[in-house]
Amino acid sequence: MNGARWLVQALAAEGVDTLFGYPGGAIMPFYDALHDAVQDARIKHVLVRHEQGAAFAANGYARASGRVGVCVATSGPGASNLVTGIADAMLDSVPMVVITGQVATSLMGTDAFQELDVFGMTMPIVKHSFLPRRVDDLPRMLGEAFRIARSGRPGPVLIDLPKDVQNGDASHLAPHVPLPAASVPKAPEHSLHAAAALIAQSRQPVIYAGGGIVLGDALEAFRDFVAQTRIPTVLTLKALGVLPAAHPSNLGMLGMHGTRAANLAVQEADLLIVVGARFDDRATGKLDEFAPHARVVHLDADACEIGKLRAADAAVHGDIAAALTALTPSCAAQALGFHAATRRAWRDICLQRKRVFAARYDAPNDSVYAPALLKRLSEMAPQAIVTCDVGQHQMWVAQHWRFDTPRNHLTSGALGAMGFGLPAAIGAQLSLQMPQAMAAQVICVSGDGSFLMNVQELATLRRYALPVKIVLLDNQALGMVRQWQELFFEKRYSEVDLSDNPDFAAVASAFGVQAFHVDRAADVEGALRRLLDAPGPALLHVAVDQAANVWPLVPPNHNNAQMLDADEATSLPGTEDAYARIPVTTKEASDALPA
Amino acid sequence: MRYQLELTLRHAEGALTRVLGAAERRGFRPVSVDGEAQPDGDRLYLRMTVEGERSDEALQGQLAKLYDCLAVQVVPCP
Repeated sequence: MNGARWLVQALAAEGVDTLFGYPGGAIMPFYDALHDAVQDARIKHVLVRHEQGAAFAANGYARASGRVGVCVATSGPGASNLVTGIADAMLDSVPMVVITGQVATSLMGTDAFQELDVFGMTMPIVKHSFLPRRVDDLPRMLGEAFRIARSGRPGPVLIDLPKDVQNGDASHLAPHVPLPAASVPKAPEHSLHAAAALIAQSRQPVIYAGGGIVLGDALEAFRDFVAQTRIPTVLTLKALGVLPAAHPSNLGMLGMHGTRAANLAVQEADLLIVVGARFDDRATGKLDEFAPHARVVHLDADACEIGKLRAADAAVHGDIAAALTALTPSCAAQALGFHAATRRAWRDICLQRKRVFAARYDAPNDSVYAPALLKRLSEMAPQAIVTCDVGQHQMWVAQHWRFDTPRNHLTSGALGAMGFGLPAAIGAQLSLQMPQAMAAQVICVSGDGSFLMNVQELATLRRYALPVKIVLLDNQALGMVRQWQELFFEKRYSEVDLSDNPDFAAVASAFGVQAFHVDRAADVEGALRRLLDAPGPALLHVAVDQAANVWPLVPPNHNNAQMLDADEATSLPGTEDAYARIPVTTKEASDALPA
Repeated sequence: MRYQLELTLRHAEGALTRVLGAAERRGFRPVSVDGEAQPDGDRLYLRMTVEGERSDEALQGQLAKLYDCLAVQVVPCP
C-alpha cells in the first residue's frame, strides 16, 4: 500500500462520501488509488470542469449538510484555481479539507514543472495547512485536518501532498481513526450574569442574529430564546432562516439592503443582543452611528469577534447554544417583569413597521419583476435549497425568498464571489443522502454576469444528471455595479454592459440541459411551473429590466436609518428624518465598493 | 502603540510565517523578532515587538487561534 491508497482509505474512514476534483500530473497517484474506491462505490468522485468548481461544490456540500466538504486538484494551476473557493470557505467559516498535489519533495524549491507554493499562497485564507514531507506524517496530519476543519469556528484546511509521499510505502501505517471535534467551552457564569442583568434593564432590546448560530449548532436554543423572550429580532445575510420568515419576532435582514423594520429597530434599540454575528460593514452601515443608543451583549464562540469592531458591555464567549439555554429562563421571566409594558409597546412598534414597510410586488408593467418572481418561486418550492451568485439577484433572494431554515440558503456572504452559485448547487444536491438526494429541490439563482464565471459546470450537471433548477436573471449588465454607478457615480456606466451575452438557452441546450425563456410577467407562473416540473437539470432564462435596482439601500457612509428607496417612502409619525432622501457624493461612494 | 509578545510555537513548517503574516494582516508592524528552537525541535520560542493602533488583545486573540501557536502573552515593552 502506498501513501495515496492509505489516504483514500482514510478519507472513507473519515466518512467522506463525495470528493469534488480534477486530476493532473502531481496528483496522479492519488487518482490511481481513488480509481478502486470509486469502482467499489466506497467514495464518489465528481469530476468538475474547472478546479474553482470543485472548491465551490465542496463548499456548497459543506454548507448544506454541515459535514466537511473535500476537494482535490493537482499542483500549480490546479491548486491556484482553488484559491477563490478556499477563501470563500475561510471568510464564511465553512468546513473543508482541500487536497492538492505537489511535486516530489526533491523537486520542491527548484521551480519544477507545475510547482507552486500553494502552502504559502493560501496561508492567509486557511484555518490551517499541512505539508507532509514523509508518509509517516499522513496519519497525524489527516486526522488533524478534519478535526481543525470542523472544530469551533469551522474553516478550510489544506493538505499539500508531494508526489513522492503519495507513492511512498505506507504498508506499516495503521488504519485511520478519526479524531473527535474539539468542543467549545461553556461561557463563564459571571459573563452570563452580566448579560442577564443588561437584558433585564433593557426597555427596547433587539436580537441581532448571525451565522454563528448555525455554525454553533444553536438553532433550537436560539429559537427557544426568541420564543420565550419575544424580543424583536433582526438577521444577517448568513442568518436568514434561523427564524422562519413568518415568525412574529422576525423583522428581517438588517444592513445595506435590509428591511426598514430591521434597520430602524436596531437604530432605536437600547440593547443589542448579538448572537453569533460580527458587525460586518454591510450589516452595520456607518459603524460609529450603528445602534447609537444601544448597549451590547455579545455571544460568540470566537473570542476575537467580541469587541473587534464594537465594544461589548457584556461579553459572553463560549458555546452559543449553552449560553442561550442558560439565559432563556431568566430572560423569559423579564419579559413579564418590570419593563413588560414598555417591552410590549416596543415590540408593537417593531411589528407595525414590519407590516407597513413590507415589500410590495405589484409592479405595474408587463416586464418580469424579479422580486415578485422570486417570492412566487419560494412559495412554489418552500423546501428548496437555494444557492445564489453575487449581485442584485443575490440581494433579491435575501429580501424576497422566505427561508425557514438556514441551511437552505447558500450564499457567498463575506467574500461575495461571483461564480459560486452553480457549483455550490451541485455540491448541495450531492450532500443529501441517497435516495433523497435526487428528490430534493435545489435551485440556483444566478445573474448573467455571475453565471458565465462557472458556466462550464453545466457539463457536470449533465454528466451526473443532477436535477438542479437554474433561474438566470438576465439584465444584460453587471447590475449591482451599474446600480452604484447610476446612484453614486453620476450614471457614468463603466464596463458594465453585457448586451452581447450569448443566447443562454442555446448555451444550456448545447450542454444537454433543457432551457426555457420568459420575458413577460404574465408568463412567469407557467414558466416556473414548467421549470420545477422538468425532469433532470433545467434552466429558466429570465429577461429582466436593466433599470430595476435593489431597494431599499443604505448609501455608503450613512447610518442604517438613512435608507433610500425608489419611491418616496411613507413614514410613521416621528420618523420622517429616517426616510428623507439624502445627498450622496461620489467621494463618499468611492469609499466603499458594491457588494 | 508598541507591544511585545512572547510566543511558544510548534516548530512546524510555516509556523513563523503564519505568526508574522497574521500580525501584519491584522494591522501590526513587526519591529523586532527574536527566537530560537528548542533543542529537540518540537518548540519554537519567539519574542516579537510590534507597532499598531489596535489593541494588543485583538492581536493576542488572533495569534492564539493559530493551530501552531501554543501560547502567547503580551509583556511590558522594555
